Amino acid sequence: MDKEKFEVLKDILFEDARKRNEELASKVNAIDEIISDREKLEPRIALILEDQVEFLEKNFPQLFGNAITASIRKQIKESQEEVVDALYPIMGKMVKKYIYRELALLSERIDRQLEKAFSWEGWVTRIKAWCGGVSEKEIIMKGLARPHLEEVFIIQQHTGLLIGSYSKNNTLDKDMIAGMLTAIKSFVKDAFRGGGQELETIEYENYKLVISNLRSFYVVLVFTGFMNAGFRSELDDMLVDFQKEVLEKYLANKEIFSKDQLTQLIKAQFDKLNDGEK
Amino acid sequence: MGKSKKVILLGNFGVGKTSLVRQYVFHQFSEEYMTTIGVRIDKKVVTINRDEVSMIIWDIAGESTHQKIPDSYKLGAHGIIYVIDVLRPSTYKSIEDEMISLQELLPNAPIVKVANKIDLLTEKERVEIVNNLPLNDYVLCSAKNGENVEKAFYKLAGKLI
Repeated sequence: MDKEKFEVLKDILFEDARKRNEELASKVNAIDEIISDREKLEPRIALILEDQVEFLEKNFPQLFGNAITASIRKQIKESQEEVVDALYPIMGKMVKKYIYRELALLSERIDRQLEKAFSWEGWVTRIKAWCGGVSEKEIIMKGLARPHLEEVFIIQQHTGLLIGSYSKNNTLDKDMIAGMLTAIKSFVKDAFRGGGQELETIEYENYKLVISNLRSFYVVLVFTGFMNAGFRSELDDMLVDFQKEVLEKYLANKEIFSKDQLTQLIKAQFDKLNDGEK
Repeated sequence: MGKSKKVILLGNFGVGKTSLVRQYVFHQFSEEYMTTIGVRIDKKVVTINRDEVSMIIWDIAGESTHQKIPDSYKLGAHGIIYVIDVLRPSTYKSIEDEMISLQELLPNAPIVKVANKIDLLTEKERVEIVNNLPLNDYVLCSAKNGENVEKAFYKLAGKLI
């Protein structure tokens, strides 16, 4: 009897707790059902995931940049051969593409030269070759492989101050380039103690800097492309003309020459070199 | 377009020549010491009484005496900034001789003497050290906090016009 009463009492006392347990159990079941069922779960977490993806996209370099760089560096260091194997086809293709493009350009120029072969210009080339004692082939090749003038700097000796310049691409501050070129010239002169000798060329991959030293100035011409002896000789002649026609006039009338005027004269003089390409 | 002038920075290694230029041109200072190799070129345009001066600054690697620096770096300089370190007497013990030989080499180039690193001194130390510096007419400055850096270069620019 007491036991029955105890059970009734227990039911009364734990009624609320039992109900809460049942509610919790049904909630857990519902959650479990959602988690286990992909279709139900997806719409619920999609928004959170989207936010997270957006956050990662925005902050990826800051969050993982250093780790990825370190990992790639380690990977390259530890498996150089594999990296070379992996890069070889890509690099190979790039080199192939570059050579193909250059050959196509050369082929175009050869075509143009052939078109000229029976023209008036062609006969002029032949006469030049006969008179100059050089082969016609050499003259044609000279025309094909002409270097391209990119920049000109006229710099005062010693001070390294820029007198005038002409450039197709405005890159670094030209005054600073002039200073640095002068410092390099000075360094070479002091380091090798070459007496009256001067630095005449600087080569940097596809760029060639030709330095022509005059008494109080020096001229730096920046070229891209292959330079043969014939072109160099043509260039030397042009520099002599430039000294006579421009620099001497400039020296005599420094006060009235503006930097812009000098730039125009430099452009007019040296553009002739690029005109020869056509 | 104003006139361009070649300005050279001379002084012992570690006196803060590069830091002075960095502070003057870029308003930056770095605690890290990196020795200058050869020479570094920077540029700053200054306007004084409507006259524009383009200062092409040659920051030359430090040596115990300027005579160890190739003359070709110094030739043609229109102005000189000679830097000393207020905490290292060795950087100014022979400054008188240095000034004489510099004036012989570049007779027309004005010289501005700069005593750097004053941020490391207390007011009392500052007075004491300045009183003991040989020669006079220094610009006391700090490449670290920028104190008087502008003034030193401006002073030279004024002499170049």
